[in-house]
Amino acid sequence: MSLLEKAPPRRPAAATARAPRAGLRDEHGRRVRAWELVLRYVLLLAVLALTVGPFLWQLSTSLKGPTEDIFSSPPKFLPGHPTLHNYQRVSATIPVWDYALNSLKVATANVVTNCAGSALAGYALARLRYRGRAAATLTFVLAMLVPVEGIVIAQFTTMRELGLNNTLVAVVLPGSVGAMNVLLMRNAFRNLPYEIEEAAYVDGADVWQRFLRIALPSVKGTLAVVAIFSFMGAWDDFLWPLIVLSDPSRFTLTIGLNYLHGTFAGDERLVAAGTVIAVAPLIALFACLQRYFFRGVGEGAVKG
Amino acid sequence: MASSTVLRGRRVKRQLPTSPWLFAAPGLLIAGAFILYPFVSTVVNSFTDRRTLIPGRFVGLANFRELLHDDMFWTGLRNSTLYVLGVVPALVVLPLLLALLVQKNIPGIAFFRAAFYTPVVASVVVVGLIWVWLLDERGLVNSLLETVGVGRVGFLSDQWLLLLSAMAVTVWKGLGYYMIIYLAALANVPRELHEAAAVDGAGAVRRFITVTVPAVRSTMVLVGALSSVAAFKVFSEVYLMAGPSGGPAGEDTTLVMLVQRTGTGLTGRVGYASALSVVVFLVTVALMLLVLRADRREES
Amino acid sequence: MPTSRRAALAAAAVAVLVLPLSACGSSDGKGGSTDASGKVEGDITFQTWNLRANFKDYFESVVAGFESKYPGTHVKWIDQPAEGYADKISADAAGGTLPDVVNVSPDLVAPLAKAGLALDLDKAAARYEKEYLPGAWASHQIPGMKGTYAFPWYLNTGPLFYNKSLFRKAGLDPDRPPRTYDDLFTDALELAHKSGGKVATLANVPTIEDFGRYGVPLVNQQGTAFAFNDPKGVELLTKYKQLYDAKALDPQALTATPESSGKKFLTGAVAMNPGSALDLDNFKKQAPSLYRDIGITDQITSTGHVNMYVMGVMVNSRTRHTPAAVAFAHYVTDAAHQMAFAKKVAIFPSTAGSLDDPYFTKQDGTDETRVRVAAAKSLKTAVNYTPVLFSDQMKTALRNEVAKALQGKQSPKAALDNAVKACDTLLRQQG
Repeated sequence: MSLLEKAPPRRPAAATARAPRAGLRDEHGRRVRAWELVLRYVLLLAVLALTVGPFLWQLSTSLKGPTEDIFSSPPKFLPGHPTLHNYQRVSATIPVWDYALNSLKVATANVVTNCAGSALAGYALARLRYRGRAAATLTFVLAMLVPVEGIVIAQFTTMRELGLNNTLVAVVLPGSVGAMNVLLMRNAFRNLPYEIEEAAYVDGADVWQRFLRIALPSVKGTLAVVAIFSFMGAWDDFLWPLIVLSDPSRFTLTIGLNYLHGTFAGDERLVAAGTVIAVAPLIALFACLQRYFFRGVGEGAVKG
Repeated sequence: MASSTVLRGRRVKRQLPTSPWLFAAPGLLIAGAFILYPFVSTVVNSFTDRRTLIPGRFVGLANFRELLHDDMFWTGLRNSTLYVLGVVPALVVLPLLLALLVQKNIPGIAFFRAAFYTPVVASVVVVGLIWVWLLDERGLVNSLLETVGVGRVGFLSDQWLLLLSAMAVTVWKGLGYYMIIYLAALANVPRELHEAAAVDGAGAVRRFITVTVPAVRSTMVLVGALSSVAAFKVFSEVYLMAGPSGGPAGEDTTLVMLVQRTGTGLTGRVGYASALSVVVFLVTVALMLLVLRADRREES
Repeated sequence: MPTSRRAALAAAAVAVLVLPLSACGSSDGKGGSTDASGKVEGDITFQTWNLRANFKDYFESVVAGFESKYPGTHVKWIDQPAEGYADKISADAAGGTLPDVVNVSPDLVAPLAKAGLALDLDKAAARYEKEYLPGAWASHQIPGMKGTYAFPWYLNTGPLFYNKSLFRKAGLDPDRPPRTYDDLFTDALELAHKSGGKVATLANVPTIEDFGRYGVPLVNQQGTAFAFNDPKGVELLTKYKQLYDAKALDPQALTATPESSGKKFLTGAVAMNPGSALDLDNFKKQAPSLYRDIGITDQITSTGHVNMYVMGVMVNSRTRHTPAAVAFAHYVTDAAHQMAFAKKVAIFPSTAGSLDDPYFTKQDGTDETRVRVAAAKSLKTAVNYTPVLFSDQMKTALRNEVAKALQGKQSPKAALDNAVKACDTLLRQQG
């Protein structure tokens, strides 16, 4: 580990990168060869087709007008008369904004509690030495392994005993500090060289200060991962909110969108539009956060 | 590891004695109250014949004995095990390659990164519907195969192809997820290592093996552990593609599907399903230990 | 290993603590009375199953009407989405948070009644019985128990749709669809043969209602065990096996769901599909080209009685306001409200005499009306073939054994014997 002694964030390479322009340079400041660039784009586009293609079909279905055959065979990809009408119909059929707001509340709360809780616990597991640390780690590992499908009703009973059923708090609580997130944070903190904190320690920083000022900023990337995972988890969850909520005004988006599968005759276009509504915010969030994953890699790269 | 012992050694005493527990408390409380405590009642139920609405009587190991004679249980165990074997290697390697592909900052890369992540954020129900449509007897994949001259393939009617298709969907959906974990890890690989290797004249492949892999090894182990646990507990992908009854004649049923099928609803056999849950739990614990042990052996 | 012993002790201690907690859930006899004769008042909750998106206004007006008829009552209407309804009810039933008045189907009522959570209407509301069709009233009675556990609500049944152009292509007369099982099997084999195995006629493996409609006795005389492994059942399954081998039964039928087989019909991969008046609208919206060539024919039965589905409204036996809950359940399902609901969506009222309304007897030349009138007529003798005690687990067991027979892994006889055995075991385990 001592070999990986982490250099301070300023990279010497950053300087060279800004030097003579012409062409692209990689993160090490070396010029990227043309054939390599082409190869990269070809690969990127191939993976892109594979990952996004199916969603484009969903998007296309959601834009198809009421006179278009969506089950024709062979399938048609482009809507003949694209229309946003289906989106209006979704919001006319269900209070989609109310549901989205509930989902947003739940997801945001989940992000905050998970980031805080798993960073604290991860730090304790990785850095602090105390009796019972192994037991604490084991607790989280076991919690991660419990098959959720088998405990939903017991969880519901617990919530009822706490008088929390039918509240958004109850939706958040069981996943508010995800065991897997704790273990991710623990991994991140463990990979930090001790020397960084040692210096702060010598300067008289106590454990809270070291945690907040030194350790936490160094694991921003993993924190962003935890943030996006917990947002996504809360946003997509269906069974637990369904079980614990009974009042439709508190329903989250995933439950609400399920209404679009009508008891009498569902409409694929509506379902498709609902899907797009559900996925779009997550993609936007990811697009915003993704640069944090590349912290330290991105500097000194393209820029010209 | 030498430096860490120094830090631990004498300085620990000056920390507040309670702070480690204070740090871990919220997480432990949540895991304990809402995951582990409910699971304890599952363990208790596994020794009873409890039904959803009918309180159980203690039946000892009867549920576990019944399990051994239940063909469906063995089918489920087989399928869940196959799932681990099929999915985990792909999920350890492919996302790493993908992470390397999107790591380099070339124009438009932010778009690609976000795009590759879309399968992860879409709910598994949507993903299932889309893939069922694609792999249908008359779906897109089959029309392509027919034009190429391969002919139609019964992806959704053959028990093995169904399992394979579900695995493909799991890998497809997991790529972006584990890609992110790798990206976070790659960001921590000091570029000096790469530079040193490049100066030594190492090519891309050799740098991958000598620099990248060792540097993200602990992450690979983590991904291996996470994905094998998730694969063993697979439910949604198979449920959506093979149908609630688990493929033709139930041959694609996985263990968690069996838990869901026997234990939920108003006529659920909670006791028996709990016994199944306990088995699933024990197997995943064993899997985890296996991965960690393999890791340790390699390290030494 | 000392630790494991300590752990075992701890587990045992926890077990003692948890058991009484987790074992609650039924028959502590608290709250609620079966006496519905008191004053109709109080706050009650009414839960429907996926009806909010399209019928919000209707239900709000029903609630308002009830509240003004009985001052001092307040009804809170909640609606649950389509998916996970049984899970939601299970959690509520186990947790003691079941609403006062609940929209149910017969298979949901049975376990609730057995757990003492459904009010016996023969005791609490016997005077309303005569308002409903006798068959509909009886559909919420449970073998082995006395009493009726839900008001009948809307009924549904429907014709068999077929794709005329596929019939034409196979050289069959599109205006002479099959009317008997023999015709059906012959036509199906012809369609598969002519299309080189590309067009199947049926998309689903036989379910319990199919056996019932074919004239197979499903349950023994006493209602204590299943009996669909009789020669007639074996005959039907043997026929299906022939269809499957000829690809006249869709190869994906073994994994099909009602939704997926509906889609197969929409894409023209399957020539016939059972449905209801509701589907007409669906075809119009989703597959306009198919709709132009749609054929409609009667359900095929050997018994002369078509299959129907029944929805019910039950009263929670633990409700604190029994009179109000019973009054409301009756109010929602009375003739006037069922008629009003039936005019909003293509379903059928279960109240006596309603089906004689001109709405259900007079043709006006449209396909919708034609289907509606025919269905209303057939409903008078329709049967809900699915046995009340036939749980989801049993459906899966039957389905999987049938699949093995179709694949040729076991004979039809052996398959049905195994299915009956499995279902009987499940029946006993349900307690």
